[in-house]
Amino acid sequence: MNNDIRTHHPDGQGELMAHAVDACVHCGFCLPACPTYALLGDEMDSPRGRIVLIKEVLEGALPLYDAAPHLDRCLGCQACVTACPSGVPYGELITSFRGWSEPQRQRSPLDRAKRASILKILPAPKVFSLAARVGQFAKPLAPLLPNALRSPLDLLPEHVPAMQPSAAFTPARGQRRGRVAFLVGCAQQALAPNFNAATLRVLARNGIEVVIPDGQGCCGAAALHTGARGEALKLVRANLAAFNPDDFDAILSNAAGCGAGLKEYPAILHGLPDEAQAQAFAAKVQDISEYLGALLEDGELEPPMPTSRPLKVAYHDACHLAHAQGVRSAPRALLRAIPGVTVLEVPEGDLCCGSAGTYNLEQPELATQLGVRKAKNILSTAPDLIASGNIGCHTQIQSHARRQGSPVPVMHTIEVLDLAYRGEL
Amino acid sequence: MTIGKAVRPEKQALTPSLGDSLPKSKGGSLHPLAATLTRLLGPRKVLSNLSERLNYRYDAIAFGATPLCVVLPESTADVVAAVKAARAVGVPIVGRGAASGLSGGAAPTEPGLVISFTRMTRLSIDPVRREALAQAGVITLSVTEAAKPFGLIYPPDPASFRTSTIGGNLAENAGGPLCFKYGVTGDYVQGLEFVDADGEVHSLTRDAYDLAGLLIGSEGTLGLITQATLRLTTPPQFTRTLMAHFAEVGQCAEAVSAAIAAGAVPSKLEFMDRACTNAIEDYLHLGLPREAEALLLVDTDGNDLETVEEERALVEAACRNAGGTVRRAESDAEAAQLWQARRSVSPALGRIRPQRMNEDIVVPRSVLPEVVREIRALGDASGLHLVQFGHIGDGNLHPNILFDPRTESLEAVHDLAHEVARVAIRHGGVLSGEHGIGSMKLAFMREAVDAGTLAALWRVKHALDPHGALNPGKVLPAEEA
Ligand SMILES: Cc1cc2nc3c(=O)[nH]c(=O)nc-3n(C[C@H](O)[C@H](O)[C@H](O)COP(=O)(O)OP(=O)(O)OC[C@H]3O[C@@H](n4cnc5c(N)ncnc54)[C@H](O)[C@@H]3O)c2cc1C
Ligand code: SF4
Ligand code: SF4
Repeated sequence: MNNDIRTHHPDGQGELMAHAVDACVHCGFCLPACPTYALLGDEMDSPRGRIVLIKEVLEGALPLYDAAPHLDRCLGCQACVTACPSGVPYGELITSFRGWSEPQRQRSPLDRAKRASILKILPAPKVFSLAARVGQFAKPLAPLLPNALRSPLDLLPEHVPAMQPSAAFTPARGQRRGRVAFLVGCAQQALAPNFNAATLRVLARNGIEVVIPDGQGCCGAAALHTGARGEALKLVRANLAAFNPDDFDAILSNAAGCGAGLKEYPAILHGLPDEAQAQAFAAKVQDISEYLGALLEDGELEPPMPTSRPLKVAYHDACHLAHAQGVRSAPRALLRAIPGVTVLEVPEGDLCCGSAGTYNLEQPELATQLGVRKAKNILSTAPDLIASGNIGCHTQIQSHARRQGSPVPVMHTIEVLDLAYRGEL
Repeated sequence: MTIGKAVRPEKQALTPSLGDSLPKSKGGSLHPLAATLTRLLGPRKVLSNLSERLNYRYDAIAFGATPLCVVLPESTADVVAAVKAARAVGVPIVGRGAASGLSGGAAPTEPGLVISFTRMTRLSIDPVRREALAQAGVITLSVTEAAKPFGLIYPPDPASFRTSTIGGNLAENAGGPLCFKYGVTGDYVQGLEFVDADGEVHSLTRDAYDLAGLLIGSEGTLGLITQATLRLTTPPQFTRTLMAHFAEVGQCAEAVSAAIAAGAVPSKLEFMDRACTNAIEDYLHLGLPREAEALLLVDTDGNDLETVEEERALVEAACRNAGGTVRRAESDAEAAQLWQARRSVSPALGRIRPQRMNEDIVVPRSVLPEVVREIRALGDASGLHLVQFGHIGDGNLHPNILFDPRTESLEAVHDLAHEVARVAIRHGGVLSGEHGIGSMKLAFMREAVDAGTLAALWRVKHALDPHGALNPGKVLPAEEA
């Protein structure tokens, strides 16, 4: 798509956006992949439409406020990226665009306060944990509250567990085969501390020693995807300082959203002096399932114990794993490596569950429609267990499955593996 | 040489001319048509903001004029109301499906009303009559998906079948890889319903005058198709796939001619040249032979496995005789991957250059080797990126010129496109096999169609669209004064 964005925005981010817009040949192949297009059926809420809107705004031909509602509805799920044969880096485009446009947005004071508090709370596990506990008590009041306040409460699990800080160093069990750094993540620590505990156990069991470098923080994805670029840059640089890629075989994350965020660092710093450092860092970043999947492929994964009965596991592809990171086969292979497990494919598996980052809070109606649809699709496979690799999907699927009356457990892929190692599956 | 007035490949002159005389999205006044339609149909079905209208001015090849207003009808009655309202204020009407068209058909040449059918998606299957009743906005692939539980399929399979609509397929008489053996969209239409330029509804079958046949392929210039009755068939029990690659494009065409002359009737015969293969490899990483100058993909199918295998052997022998290397798809999964690769060729070319000029010529099979070689030579001599792929079994080729408007001359691109069109015409071919004339090929029409025939086509147009309201500036070059 022809554009002259470069003339209007001559910095690194302008270059990035111009390239993405250029690459789109407006063929429409991405339309059937897009969740908002599936729900709304109009061009402005499709990837192709959004690229046109972004182009027009960046060239000064369309006021931002006119395009904004449609761009805000984008989940950032990147299903369009998987579907696009032309290789349009839509994820980079929307992220850069949000960073560029946010300072110009006119938002209501309530909206501003909500966004600011999300960005403060999410990256601070202790505050999040506290907020979640307070929220838990407020839950019974939810039906009385306006939508904007109700939706975050709806999301909270029935029971918010106590924080479990992870040890700074976990030694390998048996022969040491590797050394990795681990990003502990933020909201996840508060909502599902067992994800990290299970991850450390599984890695140790496989002879991998794990370091949790000091000074690390939030990956910055939430800030970045809501357009708080300044905030995001601070977080990114803190992590670059905390992790020295030369010290480790890999830098691991067990949250698809965070892992995708870490892999985005070179794009965020495009054209800035620390871009090369970001590239070296991102080259080492892997999702936990990618890393263990490689061990499995090399025949080096410790064999898990068989399940006590045949177990049907519905695997849900988190968008940030499948679309943003292209990790699809590794988690399935890990689950299949457990004797007794059958992996089920979910109908409309590529469609986002609706819990992308802060989407539940910002677009509660669309998020709910997608959540309902996802839970129905998953439950239609009659699974014994639901597995996925992302905390956001986890809470969304769990809450909608419960609402549809299903008690089927929802777990992180690594939790399933951990249970198998312990003979508890 | 000029191409359609307001429609250009891509949006060269778009941004500068944008705002003039357009209603403002906020604060400004609505166009009276939008106000009337909102009153008649309710706000959900009418789009009038600039952000909305800007998104209904393009298809997969061209950008056109920004519409004054867009309607998303949910029923034939909505279409009737919209057409009557547009007629009352005398603005042109353009129908739009998924806008995956490759000839500029859905891109308006002047500001007017766009009727987008994407929400008219009712679909029902009658397994006893082996028919599907589909509203215009039904996605092509869903017809086959809905028919499958009844053991039936809908064969027309344009490469865009996950995106394109039945309305758009009918309007373009879309083809696809399967059309060599099974025919094009028009061959599966039992009847259709359309709204004429005055807003009257008509139901057509294929008896008496074949008016349905006239509407099929008319690119929205004779009427707006609201629904169609489509014929379904049973799927073949066996399908075998092979891939062959060649050191030269002409060899590939020779193999095709020889295989067909030997009596093979493959269900699909598709070819792509080296640039296409490489663009696909960059996207899907399938391990296709990057060095080969031409790749041929072939399916043979039927209910008798022996015949299916025999036909594959015939094609295989023809390919080897022409100097090709043959590989059989060993599994359904491998075959499916190869076909996904073929379907992605066209957009994957965007990886080479951001823009392209897309041709859709058809030539007699007997001259295929000469034609592909001549076109290859023209491309090489031009210094531009010219690639070829297509449904080679039908002689339907898609030479594409890939270019970057910032560094390459548009004039040179058009000149080359014209030369390519001339090759087809010189060898007794036509300008469009399946993508339509739209605005992109309008400039070549006078050379391809004689004046008397053009005049007859114009008389048909006047009879069905006396005010020239339906998709003006498409298919027929302006009448000589
Ligand atoms: C990657 C790619 C591959 C393709 N491969 C093929 C292929 O293999 N074979 C093939 O034939 N085509 C192919 N096409 C072209 C395109 O998909 C077809 O022309 C398709 O039929 C267009 O359908 P649509 O719904 O997108 O229509 P649109 O592009 O929206 O419209 C096409 C034309 O139909 C008119 N129209 C749309 N709906 C109606 C209606 N309800 N009533 C009256 N007029 C209407 C429009 O005014 C326009 O003139 C391909 C396109 C792409 C992008
Ligand atoms: S699939 Fe890619 S090239 Fe095609 S319209 Fe979507 S983003 Fe653009
Ligand atoms: S990121 Fe997801 S929601 Fe956004 S345009 Fe792409 S497919 Fe649609």
